[in-house]
Amino acid sequence: MITLYRPGDSLWHRLPTGRKAALLAALVLGISLVPVSWAWWGALIPAAVCLGCYAVPGIGVTRLLAQAWAARWIILVTLAGQLLFLGPQPAVVNTARVVAIIAVATLLALTTQVTELLDAIERGLAPLARLGVDPRRAGLLLTVTLTTLPVLARAAGHVREAQRARGARPRLRLFVVPFLVVALKHADELGEALTARGVR
Amino acid sequence: MNTIELKNVSVRLGEVDALREASVALDGRTIAVIGDNGSGKSTLARVVGGLVPARAGEVRVLGLDPVRQAAELRRRVAFVFSNPDAQIIMPTVAEDVAFSLRDRGMSRRERSERVAAALDRFGLTELAARSSHDLSGGQKQLLALCGALVREPELVIADEPTAFLDARNARRITAHLFDGGPHRLLLVTHDLSLARRCECAVLVAGGRVVLAGDPGLVIAAHEKSLDDHPLPPRG
Repeated sequence: MITLYRPGDSLWHRLPTGRKAALLAALVLGISLVPVSWAWWGALIPAAVCLGCYAVPGIGVTRLLAQAWAARWIILVTLAGQLLFLGPQPAVVNTARVVAIIAVATLLALTTQVTELLDAIERGLAPLARLGVDPRRAGLLLTVTLTTLPVLARAAGHVREAQRARGARPRLRLFVVPFLVVALKHADELGEALTARGVR
Repeated sequence: MNTIELKNVSVRLGEVDALREASVALDGRTIAVIGDNGSGKSTLARVVGGLVPARAGEVRVLGLDPVRQAAELRRRVAFVFSNPDAQIIMPTVAEDVAFSLRDRGMSRRERSERVAAALDRFGLTELAARSSHDLSGGQKQLLALCGALVREPELVIADEPTAFLDARNARRITAHLFDGGPHRLLLVTHDLSLARRCECAVLVAGGRVVLAGDPGLVIAAHEKSLDDHPLPPRG
């Protein structure tokens, strides 16, 4: 299950979700707008912002390192590609920027419960109700999408296990059909469950 | 007023007549629905729960039409499926229980208190912050039931809720279903000992309600049909 949320009482945890999302979005935008022409400052500023965000009591730099480790393949691919085509300085600056953006954006998920996020999305989208957007439905759509991904990942694992148990060699075609059937069945069951839980 | 009334209800699922002119009037706090696989038990439960519309006939649940008065029905009736995986929506245990109360117009504090009380009642307090999909099968089914009962429904429809559980977890789920509140219960089950505990039972076969009434008589009729039509011999 995608649940990055870590319970706590840090400054980020205490901030109201809407304000927190706006602040983090502003930081992400700020980091992405640091000009490459600022040479190494272009890497140091995003790194400093990122460290500053994580250094608050209750979060900690260890958490930042864990996020960086989780994104290691993105970092490696970004760095390698840029080193090859742009040279060392732009490569380091751009990679630092990408890592900082991922880490800062992740703070929202780390310190906000999905329920709070759902409430904030509903509140944020409320003005669009006049244009025919259903804020509750939009918020729920996002939540269900997030929570369904790991269920489908697990279903994919079960399909592969079942195929191995029956001695089938791994082939894309043999995997896709049963996986689609399982996914559609899950969608059906989820629809029923949502109806049963009062979602119209 | 009967808890559940079906008059000549027919349901077609794809190419299959899942219910054929089923008629029954059921009252009682606990009602069991028994029958073979594919007999129409789950379809009957889904029609009662408003999850499947009847193609023909009339359905009344707590005096409500499950299609025309769906919103009211949702407030008063909860459904528990055999597979809890599809029933769990939110990423953590506490959030999933709280999800059931989103449309109740409660303050956040009131919602938290209700969730905390429900988690405590189901022995899930220590798992409140845990990822709901990483729970064991028994814990998931407890969570699904907790999410259903936190709404304080008048009627709980449970479709083979213990089908995938070991004896210990099955017993816990059963205890909550039978003694966990003032709700009425419609229980679809293959477990005849559970059916025997109910005040009333229904036997479904071939999409029709064959018999309804005293659980002892209904179960005896089901067992007789098992004896009369045993599995064909092997070989």
